[in-house]
Order: sequence, then structure tokens, then C-alpha cells
Amino acid sequence: MKEKKVEFDRDFGHLVRTATQSHIELKSHYRPEDCRALSYDFDLGDPGQYPFTRGIYPNMYRDRLWLKSFIVSYSSPEETNEAFKQYIASGLTDLRLLADLPTQSGIDPDHPAAWNSMMCGGVATYALPVYEKMLQDLPLEGVVYELAHMGITNFIYCYALLVAIMEKNGLDIINLRGNGINDPIRAKLVYECPDLPTHIAKRVWLDHIEYAVRHTPKWKPCVPNGVDPQQRGMEAPKELGGCLALATTMIRELEKRGISIDEYGAMVFSLDAESDFFETIAKFRAARRMWARIARETLGATNEKAMQLKIGIRTSGLSLTWQKPLNNAARVTLEILSCVLGGVNSLDASSMDEAVGLPSLEARVFNLDAQHIITHEANVPLVGDPLGGSYYVEWLTSKLETETNNYLKEIETRGGIFECLESGWLHNVMEANRLRIQREKEEKKRLIVGVNAFKQEGEEGPINKAIREVAYRVPTVEDREAKVREVKHFKESRDQRELLKNARELYRATKEGRNITRPVIEAGKVGLTLGEVTGLIRLGYGISYDPFEQIGIPEFVRRAVEERNQA
Amino acid sequence: MKTEKKIRILLAKVGCDIHERGPLTLMTAFRDAGMEVIYTGRYQSPEGVAKAAVAEGVDIIALSDHTGSMPIIAESVLESLKNLGAGDIHVMAGGLILPQDLEKLVKMGVSGNFGPGTPLAVIIEHTKGLAAGRIS
Repeated sequence: MKEKKVEFDRDFGHLVRTATQSHIELKSHYRPEDCRALSYDFDLGDPGQYPFTRGIYPNMYRDRLWLKSFIVSYSSPEETNEAFKQYIASGLTDLRLLADLPTQSGIDPDHPAAWNSMMCGGVATYALPVYEKMLQDLPLEGVVYELAHMGITNFIYCYALLVAIMEKNGLDIINLRGNGINDPIRAKLVYECPDLPTHIAKRVWLDHIEYAVRHTPKWKPCVPNGVDPQQRGMEAPKELGGCLALATTMIRELEKRGISIDEYGAMVFSLDAESDFFETIAKFRAARRMWARIARETLGATNEKAMQLKIGIRTSGLSLTWQKPLNNAARVTLEILSCVLGGVNSLDASSMDEAVGLPSLEARVFNLDAQHIITHEANVPLVGDPLGGSYYVEWLTSKLETETNNYLKEIETRGGIFECLESGWLHNVMEANRLRIQREKEEKKRLIVGVNAFKQEGEEGPINKAIREVAYRVPTVEDREAKVREVKHFKESRDQRELLKNARELYRATKEGRNITRPVIEAGKVGLTLGEVTGLIRLGYGISYDPFEQIGIPEFVRRAVEERNQA
Repeated sequence: MKTEKKIRILLAKVGCDIHERGPLTLMTAFRDAGMEVIYTGRYQSPEGVAKAAVAEGVDIIALSDHTGSMPIIAESVLESLKNLGAGDIHVMAGGLILPQDLEKLVKMGVSGNFGPGTPLAVIIEHTKGLAAGRIS
């Protein structure tokens, strides 16, 4: 019998590229002359010193660790509440809220377009009682909340619900702490979010920010988001450039409303921890340096706090694979490590089972434990910016700064970030790079383990199988029917006089150009739903009530609007 | 030499699912493979997708969804197709398809049911087979 010969390849699995994920071509090593232009005091500084390249606190993680967070949002508010309690016991220190996809699009569960994605990706957050159930027994003061939604209507509405609950419980809203993404560029560029057209979203965005700065100063009402544009195709300098451009625009718009950058205080960005380890670290360092310079030199900040950039992270969901999900544990761990080495302030780590379904409890506890291991066993956070002074990391940080500056100049030449969105230019840039990456994967110039290389031969093993099998259950048809009944019942049970009064006030404020935040808070208190608030804002601008053009105007809304028009 | 009729395919997303990389990747892959592709974009209704498929005279609808709701979506699209007398249009699916949903989808007559990262060649081969009637 002839035996099959074993083929041996010493170079099996060799490198296939010499550039970073964002196509920055690299040398095989870096030398002192590659960083010669850098001045320690001018470009780096100690941690806690301008331009904060090395971090914003003098003792970095010795004084305060990064916040450990992830989105907790399951189908029902009760389940979500239960999950929050379990995660807090495992070390969650930052409560990140989300809603299901229809809510994020600006509609209620009883809208026909909601059916196919109802309770998917989170809680159907249609009105105040949902938040009251979801946050039952959870503290509202001394806790960091984050809103990670998509549509601009969601941020003002969910912020309003948090404020409403505090006020109803006799708490001072000055103690509301946390942030909301509230990024109108991301909402359209990445999601084409149907709730509001951009020109209306921009007004709601600014109203919300202005109100929050004046009344809840510990709440950051806008966190320019690079995560989702990056996931959708933007490279690192464009991810960062987009955030810097939006932050700059926001500060300039707030100046027109009488709020200075010093009053606004520290900026927060939501950035992506991508697969490319060193590029990710360099991106965080460059981000802090660039914002400090823009804040001081371009926007005239005089308060050091206003020159500081806090970085919140979401580790890449895109990097996770459906194939061999166990490998995602390695990916997530590396991404978490890059965040800690890069000095981030809060960290939302994806789960190993996220490409298979909604994250399970065990996979998420793994994320928290990985952070505890990095902290207590690997001793990584003992020293701030441990890679500072590395020829490669310093070169790459400066390189990213240069590339990002070039991109910012291009945005400015084209009339600013909103014009670049509306003209479709941003979309084209993003799509071109997504295609480039797609081709690289096809041509195996970019290897993804288990997908286009190192694939699983034969049947899947028991560990991978188990990860696949715990994936979260999707709401059934019966669950969805029950939700629609619940919403209809809720809508019928409300005080009609209060509804009418508050609907009229919101409509009037929108139409007259007053800040709509307080009317939204009051509307939330009497049970106006997210879909109704969205519709009223739209009507205030003279466009249709329903972003999907599928439903009519509810009777009390019609009355609120008509009476006003007759008056 | 005979010229083959080009396969016409409608890529569609129903509901509020925002994940779009799958259909965008397939759009170029199908085009590169010589097919005529129309993409509905996001936030579509099942009736809208069925109507578009009939109006565009496509051979195949390829549904994409990452919420885990594919059986619910596919069922309503199939029903809308039947109502329009277009039950002969093939329906294939891809995205986040849960193992427990596979059988349901196959029973409905939805083919493919590809997970993320499926090699494009496999999907293209399937599409050609479907259009040629080799797969049902």
C-alpha cells in the first residue's frame, strides 16, 4: 500500500503584506532618525500634559482605570434590567443603553415597518415606562450612562427619559452623568437613518447639546463616532478626521449659541479598536494630540480641560468571524490590549459570539475577565503610555497625524463635514475603501483566519459548536404580537388632555425655532412615544409625520397641529 | 456561439436592519460575475420588495438580514410574491441565519442561507444553479 507523503512547508502562513490595515506602508524597522522631528515637550509631553499624546491624566490608570462597558439591551426591559445587575456584579462600570432597530430608526413597535426587526438588537424603547422597567433599582446618580443609538431623535428622546425619571424621583439632574453618541454624520453616512433629514437632525442635535451643556454639565451630549464609519469602510485617518471635523463644527455652532469651548469642557470621541494592533494604538495617541492642538490653536480654548480628549472605544465587530468563533476571543483580547496601551478612557469590548448572534452572558463575562487579567496578572496598566518613545509607534503616530490633517484640509476645501455628507463625497470615499478591502481579501492580500485562510477542515469541534449554540434567541412572532398589543394598550391608556397639551407645545417650539429639549422631556413624562415625538418634530418642519410614509397622523397629534395652525 | 441571457437578481433588505456590508459585497461580486444586479437599499417592506422584483423582472431575490429574523422576513416576502402571482421568482437568503432556522427556511423554499464570510464563488455558483433550475 502506498503511503501519502506529508508535505512540509517551512514558510507556511507567511506574511502577505507590508502595510497597515489603513494602507500605511511600513519599513521593516524604525530608527531614531525616523522620529527626529519630534520634540518631547511640544509633541508628546508627560501624561497629563499638553498635547496629551501620552494620556490625559498624570498617573493614568493608577488613579483611575478605564470604564468597562458594553451595550446591554435585550428584547425585553426586564431581561435587560436583570442582565445589567449581573454584569455590574462582574465588574461593569459604565452602563451603555441601546434600543431595538425600529426604535433607532424613529418608529414605535406598532408601526408596520417595525415588525421585521422588532426587539432585535435591543429593547423596544417606545416610552417612559420601558425605561422605568429597564432601570429598575439601578442608581441614576454616581453612575455613567451611555446612549449608543443611531437616529438623532433617539438621543434627545432617551436623554429626556433619563431626565424625566430623575425629576420624577426628586433627583437633581445636574448629577446626570454620561454621554450620548448623537452624531448626525454617522446617522446618515453609515445608517441612512430615516427619522429625520440632515438639516432637521442638525437643529435637534444642537438643541439637545445646548440644553445639556447648560443643565446637565456632566453629560456629554455629542460623542463624534469613528467606530461605525470605520466598520463601514473608512480608514483610520478618515475615521479620526471625521470625528475631528464634526467636533470642530459643533464647537463653532455652539459659539453662535453663546457657549464657549471652555464651557463645553473635555471632548469625547468614540473610536474603533481595529485588528491592526499598532495602528490602533497610534490612532488613539494621534487623536489626543490633534484635538488638543485644534482646541487650543484653532478654537481658542484656554482651559486645559477643554483641550483634553477622552476616548471611548468599541472594539471592532467587523473583525469578528462567524467561522471558528473561538478565535474571536483572541481578536477581542488583542483589541482590548491595544486600548489599554493606547490610554483609552472607556472600553466596550465585543464578544466572541457576536458574529453568531447577540452576545451571551458568559462571553461577556469573558470580556470583563480579560480586562481584569490584563490589569491584575499582566500588569499592563501600571505605567502610562508604555509604548511612548518606541521609534515605530512615534513614527506611526506622527504619520497618522499628517494623513489626518491632509484629510481635514480636503473636507474644509469641500465646504465642511456636513457639505461633504450631503454631496455624497464622504460616502464615495468610504465605499471606495470598502471595495479596496473587499478586493484585497479576495486576492488574499489581507488574510482573515478561518475565512480566506487557515480554514476549518472537516466537522467543527465541540468548543466552537458550543459557542454557536448559546447565541441569543431572536424574538418570535408571538413575542412581537404581544409587544404590539402592549404598545396599543399603553397608547390608549394615556391622559388625552396632557397628550394634546404637550404635543402642541413640542410642535410650537419646533416651529418657532425655540430649543425643543424641555418640551421633549415634558412630552416624555406624559407618555408621548418616540415615534410621536419624531413625527411632531417632522410636522413642525412641514414634512410628513411618518418617516416611512406608511402610517397616518394619530388623532391627538392632528388636533395639536391643526389648532395651532388655526391660531 | 450562443449568448446566454443575463441573470437578473434583486438584492433586498427588509425592516430596520442596518447591516449592509453583505449586500454591498455581493452587489459587486454578482456584477463581476456578469449578472444584472439591483439593490433595494435598507428599510424596505416585504410588499415593496416583491413589487420591485416583479417590476424589474428578476429571476432571483437575494434577501439579506443580520437580526436573526430571516424566517419571518422570508415568509412575508414569499407571501407577497404569491399574491402578485410571481411565485416562480426564486428566493435565496444570507446573513445571520440561526442553525435552528435553517430547516424552516429550506421548507419554505428559501435556498442558499449563507452565513457571513461564505466564499463569493460558492454564492455565485449557487445563484447560477438556481437561475438554471439545477437547484430548487
